[in-house]
Amino acid sequence: MKNILLKTSQLSKSFSSGGRLQHVLKNIDLELYEGDFTVIMGASGAGKSTLLYALSGMDTPSLGTIAFKDQIISTLNQDQLAIFRRHHCGFVFQQIYLIDGMSLMDNVLSAGLLVIKDKKILLDRARNLFTAVDLSEETWKKFPAQISGGEAQRAGMVRALINHPEILFADEPTGALNFKTGLDVLNTLTDFNEHGQSIVMVTHDMRSARRGNRILYLKDGIILGECNLGKYIPQDPARHNTLSAFLSEMGW
Amino acid sequence: MRKSFLLARSNLRKSKGQTAAIFVLMLLAASMLNLWLMLSTDYKQNFDRYHDKLHAEHVTLSVDRHDTEMQNFLIRTLEKKKQTTEFSLTDSMHMVGSFAFHGGEISTELIFLEKQAALSRSVGKIELIKDSNIQSGIYLPILYQSEKNAIGKTIQVSVGSHKIEYTICGFFNSIMAGSHNCSLCEVLLTEDKYRELEQSGYAPASTLCSIRLKEKSKSQSYETQLKNMVSSYDPSVRTISNSYTLVSQSRYISQMICSGIISAMAFFILLIALIVVASNILNYIQENMKNLGTLKAVGYTGSQLIHALLLQFLGISLAASLLGESISYGMFPFLNTMMISQTGIPYRIHFLPFPFFFTLLVSSGVTALVVWLSSRRIKKVEPIVALRQGLLTHNFKKNWISLETTGIPLDLALALKTTFSAMKQNITVCITMLVLSLIVVFSGLMTENVIVDMTPFSNLIVGETADSCINIQTDLEKAFLQKMQSDPRVEKIYLYHSVSVRHVNGVELVATICDDFAKVNNQDVVFEGRFPKFDNEIAIAAKYAKEHDLNIGDEITIAANGMEAAYLISGYTQTSNQLGKDCLLTRAGYMRLGKLSNASYYLNLSDQTDIDIFHEEIKEHFQKAVNTTINVASILEGSASVYVSLMMMIVITVLVLSVIIIAFVLYLLVRTMLRNKKQDYGILKALGFTTKQLILQTAFSFLPAVILSTIVGSAVCSLIINPLTAFFLNSIGIVKCTFRVPADYIILASIILILSAFLLICLFAWKIRKITPRSLLAGE
Ligand SMILES: Nc1ncnc2c1ncn2[C@@H]1O[C@H](COP(=O)(O)OP(=O)(O)O)[C@@H](O)[C@H]1O
Ligand SMILES: [Mg+2]
Repeated sequence: MKNILLKTSQLSKSFSSGGRLQHVLKNIDLELYEGDFTVIMGASGAGKSTLLYALSGMDTPSLGTIAFKDQIISTLNQDQLAIFRRHHCGFVFQQIYLIDGMSLMDNVLSAGLLVIKDKKILLDRARNLFTAVDLSEETWKKFPAQISGGEAQRAGMVRALINHPEILFADEPTGALNFKTGLDVLNTLTDFNEHGQSIVMVTHDMRSARRGNRILYLKDGIILGECNLGKYIPQDPARHNTLSAFLSEMGW
Repeated sequence: MRKSFLLARSNLRKSKGQTAAIFVLMLLAASMLNLWLMLSTDYKQNFDRYHDKLHAEHVTLSVDRHDTEMQNFLIRTLEKKKQTTEFSLTDSMHMVGSFAFHGGEISTELIFLEKQAALSRSVGKIELIKDSNIQSGIYLPILYQSEKNAIGKTIQVSVGSHKIEYTICGFFNSIMAGSHNCSLCEVLLTEDKYRELEQSGYAPASTLCSIRLKEKSKSQSYETQLKNMVSSYDPSVRTISNSYTLVSQSRYISQMICSGIISAMAFFILLIALIVVASNILNYIQENMKNLGTLKAVGYTGSQLIHALLLQFLGISLAASLLGESISYGMFPFLNTMMISQTGIPYRIHFLPFPFFFTLLVSSGVTALVVWLSSRRIKKVEPIVALRQGLLTHNFKKNWISLETTGIPLDLALALKTTFSAMKQNITVCITMLVLSLIVVFSGLMTENVIVDMTPFSNLIVGETADSCINIQTDLEKAFLQKMQSDPRVEKIYLYHSVSVRHVNGVELVATICDDFAKVNNQDVVFEGRFPKFDNEIAIAAKYAKEHDLNIGDEITIAANGMEAAYLISGYTQTSNQLGKDCLLTRAGYMRLGKLSNASYYLNLSDQTDIDIFHEEIKEHFQKAVNTTINVASILEGSASVYVSLMMMIVITVLVLSVIIIAFVLYLLVRTMLRNKKQDYGILKALGFTTKQLILQTAFSFLPAVILSTIVGSAVCSLIINPLTAFFLNSIGIVKCTFRVPADYIILASIILILSAFLLICLFAWKIRKITPRSLLAGE
């Protein structure tokens, strides 16, 4: 039996746009498990990002509760959420969002120093992670504007993982990348997952989705269905077929 | 043009906050500028207008004889002199006198005129401003109207050592003799009172001559020559006099102080406003590189885009200037009332086209120039490059404060990164804080030396101060001194007597004679060299020495009573009293020119002594030998209170203004920073930074520039404030200023300045709490 990492009950999120209330998430009950590579799929505008940001404490739900392990996070205020995020969550964004004015290393350290007070340990970890994502030492000193999108996203992953997050959230991490670099990023994610990193990834692309062991399908504000693929095996036709069948059942 | 207009309108709509802040700064600058121009043109010219209106004299001379022999001599002499165009002679009486005013006392040479005689003068007319049907009493210069000195009330006037009570019948204005600042002051008596005074013999009968000249610039030398001619004709007469040059300056000291300060403020605020405009435009270009590129791509020319900016800022500047100018008209009445209490010349506020249009021209001209200069780079924006790269202006050359190596705490380190990469912001902060620290130091200096304890100020402006001044006939001098030395209330007594002498080759100087200059209270009067010690030494006014190229050690010849003697210059003096035309002699030194028939002694009395009672006792004891007694302490209070309240108003105004300026500048800077860094803040929040951390980071990023410029500014200003003040006061005879610079106040004020800057930034950065990591999604 896997440990529950995140648990939502009756999670709802509405936005009022132009005076009208738009219910994006409707009473979602969901459990996410430690060690899983969970993928949230759905059409564009289905509310995938909204769900991801609610789960990760970037945003507060309109109704319902979210618990991280034993801690209810849906009642925390903005600053408490910030402190929660720095200790427990890592983020990888589609737009990468590195800070322009800092070198890659400082981008990573600015997140790391929030949690890890021992500079030596922190630097060791940063270097190891950079090496793990295959970024050379001279790249660390560069600024985001001086590197390619793929390199930037890998630096983004280093930043996301620097504080040993219990859970890594990724919102379409390959969305802005070309095929080859996107593949590198997916491989890195899979690799970290194999070493025990829990990951929740939003995507609307099958190639990415295949990496997950648990696929959730979001539609009209509810989890329409889910599919378990088991441990990722590259070029596994059975896995591909299962996923395709699931998706077409969901109306993909 | 229409396109530019539309662009300007949309720019304005997008930046309401900035527009408002720039508007306020421009408004302040324009109102100061207009006020300054009004003060230094029309307000100052009001003196000449009044002078013309009252057909006033350029030289006033009162001689204490009015027999026909003297009058014929005067007429002959005046008619002979080429400069004379017109003159009038009037019977009068003159005597040193005093009366109560504003909780103090006014003491000056009083010239008593019979009301009808005064009103019928052809030169030096008197204008009755307030009259009543009281038939018997006194008319005072309008300057001395107050709650206590009002029509129908009685006023006690000291004439020499006698006191007389009069009913106040009204107030008048006399341009050359309507204030103690003129060094002589007319008062009118109704006929019965005039005869009474004549019969009492308290004041000698005199002749008042008012002379108009061809060239008013010659007034001072004319005055000297005339006095010399009179005293060589009759060495025993006492003359008092003034000139156009002296009066036009000394009646406008408060105008000079005000316009000096206002001009400095106008300059600084305009400077800050322009810096803000420039950095605003540079930021606008940086932020809108993509938009500008798009606009260019769809066919806008660089000039059109610049025109839009020009329109936008010229619009703000014009609107702000117009409003600022109306505000300056709103403030003028207050200033006018303040200054009238020193000038004593009524001024009617009216619309002044020249300052008005000049202010508009200057504020919009410099705005246009700054906009043009800072927006020129729009022309260089290439649409393709701008579209593709967006923000290209970041300079990524250096990774300031590398987190890898620095030992600085995280928040501070991130703040410093911002500091180093925001040089434009630093420059704006620095200039603003430098200006503000100058203001703080100035207000500290004025608070310390004028408002809290005005001794330094009065030492500078008045020269010597003591508690009492007693003028006594020299035949009884010995007995007087003996009595004084045995009186326990007298702490110090010394001769401090002024007479007028003439510098051969030069003009008339007021010589102050002292038996021992080591005894005088204000040892700062001589600020270079030393007081005269021996009978062949003299100290002269630094301003006069400079103008006549006289150095310490030089020999000058002084004449008085028809005798001449040479003296060595031992030092330079400065006081504003004679506008830089004075000198110091020892008694022995003066003896080489003549003897004193009466002598003024200055006394320091013990604290508990009632000076007026003390004077009464002396008069009773020495009777007729006492010519005058002056309560110097209360006179100082009286004439000083005007300056104290003026300074207080100025200090409060500049402090309030600086708070407003600092608030607006910081608001603009913080706003710009929040805009530029909105995404960074969102990312940092997503990574787990709290709002508090980010606000602190923002505030810290400003602090290096704030602290550095405040410290440097206060230190430098503390060093230059005295020379700077001396420079402003140069025209009234001040060459060197030695005000105490209140270090404690300045340090405290600097700390307050830094703290309030910090708090204001935190307040303005409070908006950061509205930035949520969710806003990162907006880009999707
Ligand atoms: N801040 C917001 N205000 C109003 N509506 C929003 C906001 N964020 C998202 N939405 C709406 O919620 C819906 C889901 O958005 P999102 O979660 O971004 O979808 P996805 O990531 O699945 O494409 C969309 O219709 C979007 O318009
Ligand atoms: Mg999305």
